[in-house]
Amino acid sequence: MIEVRNLQKQFTGVIALRNVSFHVPDGAITGLLGANGAGKSTTLRTICGVLTPDAGSVVVDGVSPGDAPLALQSRVGALLDHAGLYARLTPREILTFCGRLHGIPVPRLRERVAEVVDLLDMRSIADRPTGGFSQGERMKTALGRALIHSPRNLLLDEPTSGLDIPAVRALRAFLRRARDGGACILFSSHVLEEVQALCDRIVILAHGEVAAEGTPAEICARAGAASLEDAFVALTSAEVSAC
Amino acid sequence: MLNAIVIVARKELLDSWRDRRAMLSAALYCLMGPAVVWMVSLTVHNGQLVLSAMMAVFTLVSAFSGGMNVAMDSIAGERERRSLVPLLMHPVTRRHLLAGKWLAVALFAAAGLAINLAGFALIVHRVPPPSLALPLIPLALLAAALELWISTLCRGIKEAHTYLSMLVFLPMGIGMFMVFSPLAAHGWWTFLPVAGQQLQLAATMGGTPPDAAAMFLLGLTTATAAGLALLAAANRLECDDVVYGG
Repeated sequence: MIEVRNLQKQFTGVIALRNVSFHVPDGAITGLLGANGAGKSTTLRTICGVLTPDAGSVVVDGVSPGDAPLALQSRVGALLDHAGLYARLTPREILTFCGRLHGIPVPRLRERVAEVVDLLDMRSIADRPTGGFSQGERMKTALGRALIHSPRNLLLDEPTSGLDIPAVRALRAFLRRARDGGACILFSSHVLEEVQALCDRIVILAHGEVAAEGTPAEICARAGAASLEDAFVALTSAEVSAC
Repeated sequence: MLNAIVIVARKELLDSWRDRRAMLSAALYCLMGPAVVWMVSLTVHNGQLVLSAMMAVFTLVSAFSGGMNVAMDSIAGERERRSLVPLLMHPVTRRHLLAGKWLAVALFAAAGLAINLAGFALIVHRVPPPSLALPLIPLALLAAALELWISTLCRGIKEAHTYLSMLVFLPMGIGMFMVFSPLAAHGWWTFLPVAGQQLQLAATMGGTPPDAAAMFLLGLTTATAAGLALLAAANRLECDDVVYGG
């Protein structure tokens, strides 16, 4: 479970987040929506501990970075827009490296790497250097890296971007299975149909603020719109006019 | 956390070792000195001092060129290929990540020095005294720390290559200045990082007995400078724009 409380972040005169607060429950997929520059990436990077907020806090499974500075990283698995890989290493080597940094003991790590390779159907590519991989193969490897330490909380920033249809379907199936297993998933996407099909709850960000939060039906009702797309436009435009 | 440092260093060593073109280029750079000095020695018969000074300059350059490609790839390269943020998401402090990378770059820098000195031993039959390790190992640490610091300031490999190539001119420039400046042959320059190594190398390669105390002090000042450069790199790695600028 992730609690984001009054998050504020500023970069050289530009306010990226203004008192952002929302709740991401366990056993649900929560969609994080917003136009470019709305603060989605900053929010995700702050939740996974890569950026330090100017004010506010992030609490993951009851633990905040103030209690244990590196605790967030152990509890969160993230696939952000930064999905870079080491071109000269194989997925198995990358997963092993990441698992070791997460402190997984070596005998267990071998098993865990094999589990992730099976889970993401990566057996045919597991021992090839990632340099010549397709976008789908790269995404699978990056997702495996996010899952290697079996995190209960998953942050995914546009994970289907660049994937072909079978890979998108496989990813959606994986996310539903993880949700049904009790995982807490925060999912950012620009594809509203995908968000509507996959997400149980939605948080809409506009200009660094939370514009709306709730189930897709609640969001549509609040905006008085028939579709999520209309609701998104109405709510984010309302934020613009309020600014 | 020593474990995390070793894990990062091992990964950097494996990743860099597989970059065979970069390895070959670095090795050839380190062997260029022995080859040039050998060719010069065929034509110059009474210029032992000049030959010793030339050898010293090439040895200093090899410390900087040995780890240059690894330093470039390990921070600026991580930013360029967008793998730095995923790396920072592990439960390891940035200082420990940096220390692991530093260890790997320093090992390549030390290997560059070793290849260069082995080249001199094989090609021109000049074997340095073992006590030269006292100032030369800290020089590898300093070269690695400076290169990593510059790498943290760059957004990509091309930018890092530009600035790190300039850094290689530092030992070359200082070395050439020392060859032609009589003022530099004595005094506090002996304890100055890079300049001190140049003086010690030129003296011992020319047959002067090594001064172990001076070498130890030089090693100490060089290791201190390496620590300061590493601190600058660590502070830089804590900045938001390292995460955002990639």
